[in-house]
Amino acid sequence: MTNSPDERGAELRELFYETSQELVQALNEEALKLEKDPGDEEIVRSIRRTVHTLKGDSAACGLRELSELAHQFEDALSLESAASHAAVAEIAFATADIFSEMIAAYHSGTKLPATKTLSKKIQELTAAPKNGKTRGKKTAGKTAKSKEPAEKASLGKSSSKAADQWTEYERLAMSKAQASGQDVLHVVTKIDPHCAMPIAGRQLVHNAIGTMGPVIAVRPDAKSPAAAKFIEFVVATVQTPEQIAAKCKIPTIVEEVTVEVLLRASAAPQPAALEASTEINEPDTPAASDTAAPEQSAVATLPAGSVPMQQENLLRVEAGRIDNVLNLVGELIIGKSMLQQALNEFSKRFPKEALRGKFADAMAFQARVLNDLQRSVMKIRMVPVDQLFRRFPRMVRDVARQCGREVELSVSGQDTDLDKGILDAIAEPLTHLVRNAISHGIESPEERRKLGKPGQGIVRLNAYHQGNQVIVEVTDDGRGIDVAKIRTKAFELGLTTPEEASKMSELEALNFIFRPGFSTAEQVTEVSGRGVGMDVVQSVLHRLKASISVDTRLGQGTTFRLKLPLTLAIIKALLFWVEQRLYAIPLNAVLEIARTFEAEVHQVDNYEVLQLRNQVLPLLRLGRPAPERDVKTKLFVLIITVSEKKYGLIVDGLEGEEELVIKALDDQTFSTDLVSGASILGDGRVVLILNLPAVVEHVARLRPQEMGHANSGLLLTHTDRMRLALTPEVGGQV
Amino acid sequence: MSRELHIVGFQVGRETYGVPITSLHEIVRVPEITAVPDAPDYLEGVINLRGKIVSVMDLRKRFGEKQASVKRNNRILVVEHAGRLAGLIVDSASEVLKIPADAVEAPPAVFQEGGLNCVTGLGKVSGRLIVLLDMSKLLAPASLVSKGESEDKKTAAKAGAR
Repeated sequence: MTNSPDERGAELRELFYETSQELVQALNEEALKLEKDPGDEEIVRSIRRTVHTLKGDSAACGLRELSELAHQFEDALSLESAASHAAVAEIAFATADIFSEMIAAYHSGTKLPATKTLSKKIQELTAAPKNGKTRGKKTAGKTAKSKEPAEKASLGKSSSKAADQWTEYERLAMSKAQASGQDVLHVVTKIDPHCAMPIAGRQLVHNAIGTMGPVIAVRPDAKSPAAAKFIEFVVATVQTPEQIAAKCKIPTIVEEVTVEVLLRASAAPQPAALEASTEINEPDTPAASDTAAPEQSAVATLPAGSVPMQQENLLRVEAGRIDNVLNLVGELIIGKSMLQQALNEFSKRFPKEALRGKFADAMAFQARVLNDLQRSVMKIRMVPVDQLFRRFPRMVRDVARQCGREVELSVSGQDTDLDKGILDAIAEPLTHLVRNAISHGIESPEERRKLGKPGQGIVRLNAYHQGNQVIVEVTDDGRGIDVAKIRTKAFELGLTTPEEASKMSELEALNFIFRPGFSTAEQVTEVSGRGVGMDVVQSVLHRLKASISVDTRLGQGTTFRLKLPLTLAIIKALLFWVEQRLYAIPLNAVLEIARTFEAEVHQVDNYEVLQLRNQVLPLLRLGRPAPERDVKTKLFVLIITVSEKKYGLIVDGLEGEEELVIKALDDQTFSTDLVSGASILGDGRVVLILNLPAVVEHVARLRPQEMGHANSGLLLTHTDRMRLALTPEVGGQV
Repeated sequence: MSRELHIVGFQVGRETYGVPITSLHEIVRVPEITAVPDAPDYLEGVINLRGKIVSVMDLRKRFGEKQASVKRNNRILVVEHAGRLAGLIVDSASEVLKIPADAVEAPPAVFQEGGLNCVTGLGKVSGRLIVLLDMSKLLAPASLVSKGESEDKKTAAKAGAR
């Protein structure tokens, strides 16, 4: 608070942009509740509280248009007739939209959205005569119970109008200042009407007061017309009121100064007032609600949600800073393996050395702390899925309305934590999935009733941990996906032949829905049907090394299951050798490791396959092609799953399991998609992490007749090929 | 009053090439290189440069030498361009040259195409000719991709012909 007013203003604005998002979100949620339960006064009050907070905050930041609109809406809501008006929810939605547009506009410095239509709607709300019992917003007030009127009385006439405009945040600051042993003073300075530059004068007074102690609130806003007439400050200080008055009385600018004590430094008689008023008001309101319009003053005193309270223990940190720390932890982990390596060598060379034990102890200790450190840093990046899920009720409502569906959204597992980066990345795919569920999945109410289902469909969002992964599910109880339809459509689009289509398993057929341009919807609507959505879903998930699976029952509904990694930065990986080079694949893709003989490998349709127990798996040889039928050669086969299908990878040898810190490859230089990243091992070796979907795709892209030996040699480089003197057929199939 | 260009000179084959010293990060011995599959053959792979992964290009292959042998005095020039690091394998890196700006000639038109489109000029220092390279063109993904693709096409065509 010692900063210059300008800096502080900028800081305040930044804070406002962040908190206001939460407020708008809260407004959306409340509007949804109200829509479900129209006329519920408690909800209307809570909307009003939210709008009020928004008004106060925006005014404090000098965002006049926003605060005016909020003020207008708040006023309208304070009328009893308006509160019970059916359109309130609708207008609340519209207001929320406009608010968020305005905030975005302020933030980016672009043109503000038009608010005329909205304010007209709000005015209609005010004008709507319902039972004629329109009450002014300041008429009511249980003086004994609400603090505000009492304060008004003690503050005197000049301040009464503004006194009830302290926001929750300011109130909190006041009580804190009081608790820390400062008096909270209310200073009203009347600006000399003859003063030539009232606004500059205002700044002078502000600065003067700023030297006495932290200024908690300033009224009115600098841009408002009243700003040139008087200024009110709330300041926390240890100085006496007289000293303040003397300081403020700047000749030719300030005509008159009144200083009053709002709150005496702790142990004063009033301190409990703030809390007390809330407590008393809360139980009282239901009883009062049918007779009196809710008091304006009470609203101001009630905390708007718990947002301002939580701020105490929350730090808003730029994500980049946390990423930096996480990177450093990654380096430390590499360092740890380097030390471990050195220790191993040391032990080998000096097996009798007594120091070994000491080293080992220190290493173990360091490893443990490092583990904790890594986990704590990763936890910082973790946020509950709720942050994402709470956007959906509003969206579901809008989409359902557009499509003429009745949909209930049920959400569970909101507390599941997920990496912030992943959470942000899946927002779009998840939106697509939910939209699809409503527009494609859920049937129209009539259709549903005909089928004996309740008219209201259910879309379920669920999240939970499973091993080292987080699962996010989108389920609907709609018509399910018609696999037969997909087969025909795939054939129509030339993606497959009828024979292939009929041979295809259900799962394979379902995979077609992720192809770009594939849509079984008969018509393109505003929300979906262009066949772009699922493609987006798939590409995002590939990038995240996540996978998606579909589970559908005709007539009963569909579940899309996203399997997401816990974090993007560190993975558990299995390391193996191919052609004297080390590669890694994510451990969670590995089902099992099998040992087999060359004799067990069969050729089907030019594909090499392996019969494992009672399953037949397509094989990929990552290294050199099969040697001339040496049936006794032993093979390592990694059984992996990629989008629900199993494959066997033939590798030369296994190295082990390791935690890898993923580093991006310079993808501007390397156009290959076979490799998704690289990592550095403890001994400084670089290991490449394979991108399994791409590896599998490389093979699947080729038609059987072109295959030949194509499912081998994927990881060979040009030099390898020259060295192995491979036939051109193989060389060409890269 | 002519400006001087500060150039790091290095040998590839029989020629001396030069890059601006400002774009040089460091010169290291050739460490173990991890090959990346499915990349153009002049992209040798990646190295671990003190915890950073840096991709390495073999300039000898880039400039068309067929068999580049590994010698003891081979070096990797680590250059910094547009915020990222890249390594260039050269036969040897020797000297820092100061070339007066007016002793640099524009490259002949034949250089504008093919693998040598990254040449910005020819500098003359005491009778020697230094081929000056443009980092952005040398490392531009476009030129790499097109070259890699055409190569792939070539091999594919070959495979198809047989």
